[in-house]
Amino acid sequence: MADGKVFQLLPKRSLWAGIPAIVAGIICIWVGLGVLTESSSVVRGIVAILGIAIGYWGLNSVVRHFKGENFETSLWLAIIWVVVLVLAAIFADLLPLQEHRNTAQTLRAGTETLLRPDLFSVHPFGTDRQALDILGGVIYGARVSLQVSVIAITLGIVIGGTIGTVAGFFRGKTDAVIGVFTDTLLSYPPLILLLALVTVLEPTPLNMAAVLAALGIPTYIRISRANTLVFAQREFVLAARAMGANRRRIIFRELVPNVALPLLSYAFIIVAVIIVAEASLSFLGIGIQRPEPTWGNMIAAGQDDFDRHPHLVFIPGGVMFLTVFALNRIGEKARQLWDPREANI
Amino acid sequence: MTRLVTLKLIRLVPVMFLVSVLTFSLLEVAPGDPALTIMGDNPPCPSLIEQELVAEYGEETDISLLCTQAVYQSVRERFNLDDPIWERYLIWLGNAVTGDLGIRLTNQSFTVLEGIQQTFPVTLQIAIFSMGLALLVSIPMGVWAAFHQGKGFDRLSGGSSFAIISIPSFLIGLLLIFFFVWRPWMLRNVVLIFAMIWVAWLLWSALKRIVSRMVSGSEAGAHATTDFVLAATVALVALGLFFWWPDFPRQGFSRWTSDEGILENFRTAFLPALTVALTEIAVFTRLLRSDIIATLQEDFILSARARGFSNRRIMFRHALRPSSFSLITLAGVAFGRALGGTVIVETIFRLPGMGRFIVDQGVRLNDYTVVMGGVLVLTTAVVLLNTGVDIAYYYLDPRIRRGRR
Repeated sequence: MADGKVFQLLPKRSLWAGIPAIVAGIICIWVGLGVLTESSSVVRGIVAILGIAIGYWGLNSVVRHFKGENFETSLWLAIIWVVVLVLAAIFADLLPLQEHRNTAQTLRAGTETLLRPDLFSVHPFGTDRQALDILGGVIYGARVSLQVSVIAITLGIVIGGTIGTVAGFFRGKTDAVIGVFTDTLLSYPPLILLLALVTVLEPTPLNMAAVLAALGIPTYIRISRANTLVFAQREFVLAARAMGANRRRIIFRELVPNVALPLLSYAFIIVAVIIVAEASLSFLGIGIQRPEPTWGNMIAAGQDDFDRHPHLVFIPGGVMFLTVFALNRIGEKARQLWDPREANI
Repeated sequence: MTRLVTLKLIRLVPVMFLVSVLTFSLLEVAPGDPALTIMGDNPPCPSLIEQELVAEYGEETDISLLCTQAVYQSVRERFNLDDPIWERYLIWLGNAVTGDLGIRLTNQSFTVLEGIQQTFPVTLQIAIFSMGLALLVSIPMGVWAAFHQGKGFDRLSGGSSFAIISIPSFLIGLLLIFFFVWRPWMLRNVVLIFAMIWVAWLLWSALKRIVSRMVSGSEAGAHATTDFVLAATVALVALGLFFWWPDFPRQGFSRWTSDEGILENFRTAFLPALTVALTEIAVFTRLLRSDIIATLQEDFILSARARGFSNRRIMFRHALRPSSFSLITLAGVAFGRALGGTVIVETIFRLPGMGRFIVDQGVRLNDYTVVMGGVLVLTTAVVLLNTGVDIAYYYLDPRIRRGRR
């Protein structure tokens, strides 16, 4: 009804509306982050977000003009964001970043504390109470987050996938026992399970990865079991049986390659969950500790000053939100493409 | 029916058994001697043992090592660590079932149960409050989005739900603090501006209806009256909010039994509850929307339409009930999730809840009895809740009730 009319107020999407919109968007972002360094952070935030919205609308128009109306611009932007973040995290040591970890050095260098973000200075995202660089912290935080979640997801896929495939293949008693085990793990509220595990382990990145793997394992057991049940009924498994293949061969050569794809398609979404869980533990102060910067502990450190210096919380928070959002977006698409149960519906 | 319930309850037994075993084994998987873990790195020498040792060896001897040994022995005895594991497990389980969760290791004059009794009501209240809020907001939103499928509001709520689900809960909490506590004037103005736009749009559409009725003589006058009433309500609420904008505290909590009364309790519980509720609102709205859309394809809706019922009647009398079963299930699960997930909210808003009790008194101080007791109680609550929801589902949904008698 009238909602449609609100959208009609926007100019019709076309190449010639798109290009100026992109330019306007970039100018807005530039003004918000680089020019208005003295005005209130809320104004700057609104201008920058407005710039992102206009720029996205323009980009969408231009790309769809060339690639057709069904092109998923947001999906590709999500992929680009994740790729850039991963590259930045891998090559963090090569980037010209300011000191983000050692307070002694920033004190000696006399860096100003609580600098406001200024895109065209050496501290594009400002500094915190210890004069540590926020951009550096965010990128090294991404490194910790990604390391931890990649190790955790690998553990989860290998352990959960194996157990689930075995349960789905043998059925009967094995399945029942594994089912009770899975139900038990799932019946712990996730954060409470993590709290219990964190109590007994030192908060090193490797231990955190092991703890966070516990979040993914029950889900993976269920997914791989369900998929194994489906695939074990298929003709190619029957053919392998008829040719006299033993159980191990059927599981590893016939079932695992088929079950692996749906498992991987869930990986993006579970990585997003793991990143949030890791950040939550760091935020509570029981995850990875300072001086190792993580998004969670940066936000926790910033929350005392953020009434006057919102960038301390909202820059690491915004990066984390974008990452989780991008992973969810990619994961949703991956599930549609690769999970047979999803694709059939 | 009874058979189904019994089956559910029987399935509960092995799960609860494993939960208790896993929770108990927390102390065992801790690297090293559990007694050392209980003692901590640098155990203080209790004055009682110190006096005994001084009496035995005299003032001059260095008793610190002897004291550590004595403390170690007393810990092993007190926690029966020399007994086999299964025996200790049975004793622990027996005590836990009768409500004795042991004394706190770091603060030995208090029991764990006392701590839980003091903090659990706060967590429970936040969870109930947030679920109520989530259902109150998401049901109208889901109905509206489903009925105007593919239109502006539906797309807007779909997109923002997807975004809100991606915001970690502690970030939502901090955002709410930023806007409700540090910058309330902004919210106040934004609410007023949006309400005025809404009112203007309502008046405009009412005017259009009246004009079109006068031109074509069609019978649309009743709708114009509802528009005027709605516009007046929105304007009044917005103006009321603008002049008496509630002021929410950054932290702290006032119990509803306290002297400040129930309003103060609502005021302090609102932001934490909203933090938990926002994510659930997004989830619930999407679920209800897709369920209603599925229901609207059914034949009985077609027959109701053929009988000429109004859209509103079809929605609330025919479509909502069969669409709400999975929402009820999800709300039950979400309630459990809220019970376990309020740790974050309690930390941000410094509420004296159970999650913070476990983190601050347990995890941070390495107080195992607090962690074990807290985890056991919360997990049991969640497991029982989920089973209850499962059973309620059978009673609520007539299709299942008749299908599998």
